[in-house]
Amino acid sequence: MIAAPEIDLRYPLTDGYIAANNLESTRQQSWSRFWQDPQRPRIAECIVVQEQFTAQYVGDLGALERLDTLVRQLDQAGADEMRTALIRAQVASMGHRFAEARDYLVQADAHGAPQADVNRLMLSIDQACGTRLEAVLQARRKMAAESERLEDLVPLGGLLADLREFEEADTVYRRALSGYQDVSPFAVAWVCFQLGALWGELVPEPQHERAARWYEKAIEYLPCYVKARVHLSEIYLESGNVADAEALLIPAVSSGDPEVNWRLADVLAAMGRAAESETQIQAARSGFETLLSKYLLAFADHGAEFYSGSGNDSRRAFELAMVNLANRPTLRAFEQAYETAIGAGEIQAASELLLSARKRWGGTRSFGLSALAASIHTES
Amino acid sequence: MSDHVDGPRVIGDPPADVTDLFAFTSPENSAHTVLAMNAFCSAGITASFSNAINYSIVARRMTVADLGNAAKFKPGDKEYRFSCRFSVLEPGTDSKTVQRGTLSCPDGQELHFVVNDEKGASTPDGKFRVFAGLRSDPFFLAWLVRDLKKFQNLLLHDNVLAIVVEFDTRSVLDPSQGSLFGVAAETAPIQGAATAIGHEPPRLDWVGRPEQTNMRLNNPALTGTEDVRDLWNQQTPFALPEEVRPLFRQRMMESLKNWDMRDGKADWTPEAMAAVAEVYLDDFLLFDVSKPISDKSFFEIEKSTLHGQPYQTGGGRTVNADVIDIMVTWMVNNDREFLQGGALQATKPGTNTFPYEASPNTQLQIVADNADLSASPDRVWDVIGKFGGMWHPLIASVQLTGEGVGQLRTLELIDGKQIIERLEFMDHSKKLYRYTNVSGMGVVDYTGTLDVKSKGSGSSVEWRVQYLADGQPDFAVKTIVSTLLKIGFEALKKRFGAQT
Repeated sequence: MIAAPEIDLRYPLTDGYIAANNLESTRQQSWSRFWQDPQRPRIAECIVVQEQFTAQYVGDLGALERLDTLVRQLDQAGADEMRTALIRAQVASMGHRFAEARDYLVQADAHGAPQADVNRLMLSIDQACGTRLEAVLQARRKMAAESERLEDLVPLGGLLADLREFEEADTVYRRALSGYQDVSPFAVAWVCFQLGALWGELVPEPQHERAARWYEKAIEYLPCYVKARVHLSEIYLESGNVADAEALLIPAVSSGDPEVNWRLADVLAAMGRAAESETQIQAARSGFETLLSKYLLAFADHGAEFYSGSGNDSRRAFELAMVNLANRPTLRAFEQAYETAIGAGEIQAASELLLSARKRWGGTRSFGLSALAASIHTES
Repeated sequence: MSDHVDGPRVIGDPPADVTDLFAFTSPENSAHTVLAMNAFCSAGITASFSNAINYSIVARRMTVADLGNAAKFKPGDKEYRFSCRFSVLEPGTDSKTVQRGTLSCPDGQELHFVVNDEKGASTPDGKFRVFAGLRSDPFFLAWLVRDLKKFQNLLLHDNVLAIVVEFDTRSVLDPSQGSLFGVAAETAPIQGAATAIGHEPPRLDWVGRPEQTNMRLNNPALTGTEDVRDLWNQQTPFALPEEVRPLFRQRMMESLKNWDMRDGKADWTPEAMAAVAEVYLDDFLLFDVSKPISDKSFFEIEKSTLHGQPYQTGGGRTVNADVIDIMVTWMVNNDREFLQGGALQATKPGTNTFPYEASPNTQLQIVADNADLSASPDRVWDVIGKFGGMWHPLIASVQLTGEGVGQLRTLELIDGKQIIERLEFMDHSKKLYRYTNVSGMGVVDYTGTLDVKSKGSGSSVEWRVQYLADGQPDFAVKTIVSTLLKIGFEALKKRFGAQT
């Protein structure tokens, strides 16, 4: 096992509590400015970024609802069409409504939106949907080489990980860290999280200890980082460290992210606290269903994961995985759909999924490394 | 500068973003000088300084090395550096947090203070005084810069984090050695242990004169140019390296040419413009402690020197100086005709008492709620779409005065309280109306919006109220408004049925 190096930045980062406090404070101030004048230059764009940060780092999924309000208000205020279309595209993309996002981008483009903004979002959508990946990779490499900025390097690392180029993804993430020239902890915590996910979840043989160290770093830099807490708690639970897993999750419950309730239920079950575990499972189920009723596409894959695990409803898991697959036929979406089909006893559907996956991804190197390739081999 | 959010990088950590720098004679004591830097554009009410950043105001003695088109201000080697560092947040009273700071003075004294303490802190010898905390943003920019169209103040109601340092001019700066100074403010990461990961930037942001980056180096009217703001922000104040000077010189010339032609008239000769560009590239705020500094004296030192004449004022920059209009006029028409933007002052003018920057603006409060009802939008609107409608259980009577927009409704609540509201907007086709509070709520800028939309087989009602509390705490008003909305929606659900 290759150990993760200690990350000790040459200069300290802004304390994670200050950064989170400032994010929340700025977000509220931006909304205040927006309500005073929805057409104020750049204010809606600032809110989109701040709400994205809030959802990504603080696990506040109310961000999606607030962004819907933002779009409604821009419409009511009769805001500039180009601006609104671009914001609509960002909001739709954040909710994984990719087809809608593409339509808005076309509108934004037609109304003269800056080409760089349109292209950047289109790249993200293509990457999320697994479309035009060769072209996306080429564009990502070019952007990263030109800027060497963290915000260009991390998406490149993410794409390389999707393409199962794990070592190169690791190198790119480290390049992002070594070139970092800021004191904000958000970006550094994000890279650490990506490295944790890379080594803990994406590689064929997960290296849990290595992943845990990256997640721990992410939380050290940004204690409010809910997703990092959730992922680290899974590793702790797997290694039998239930007390630390519980301690990680308790402060994150207030975020309202149902994934926290789910993982906490697993931890409590492992501790033999069945009644408490059941309460958390109920909260998770209710939380997921509320989110799915409002933002089906955004949470279909997470919902499928929940229901094929402790959510214990293999049919619902399969249904959600298929929704996700139809929305974005990535290799990972095929893998999830196949696994949930098997779990739900849908053998015929599973076979068809294998064939579709081979048709869509069979010519790629990543498919060869996928569990689906092995399943095809077994079936044949 | 006033360069609010002046580079992609500072957007990542807003307290690193230096927005403004001021230098003026203390209104409280003419023997004192005040240097102030602001950071964190549009800071929220609970904004904090970063504990990882050194906030510094650095002055150097200057000499006028040449005049006219060869105008040059030469900095001396000695630095007068005021540096502030801040702690992490500590638990305070009433579940609020406290942040502490330390000012390092040029003579080595250290001054400890609590952020947002309006009295600030002073050294025992009275030589130095410092305040740090949230204030109303004194900057005002009332133009849409790309098109040079008058607009409202883009920083209206905004707050910033301010650091205000006041000191005894004679004992600190020793004007007998020369009274002209240049000053810059910078944010730089605090040094850590050198290790393998992380490339240390020399600084995050710095400011000399207003809008060096957002209006000149990154003139938004120049299309297809690279954003050089982050590169500029990492340069060293008072010592722009010769290897990058040509790049910035070229950009500055392109920008100044563009500014000159904004009114379709060329008011600058190429030689004079080149001279101005050189002065701008040496980006520090000039002030002379032996001459008067007023709201009008900003940039006079540079202008007179470029005109080949001795300067008359102390230059500097007061909190209330209209720096943008002074700069825009100079760049566009070489002072042929003053160009006044769409605002005459900042949200709140500066004061004559320490810390001179006005108290923070209250944040607009929002209370919003919605309900999905089983009835059609038409049926619901028929009840709640009447400005004088009697459907809310807390309202005992409604009296209307006038008609249409401007109509007043006097609400008598069941507890006897009287509230007067004014209709501002009514659109029956969109099923939306907006009203403001005239009296009875203890608030200012109170606006309510009610709208009904189709949803599923029924309708969705949204009621949103926004206000600034006035004379009573935010939470007290919030409780009243939240109760009003909650009981209103309960009544509507009872009347029309709630969608499940």
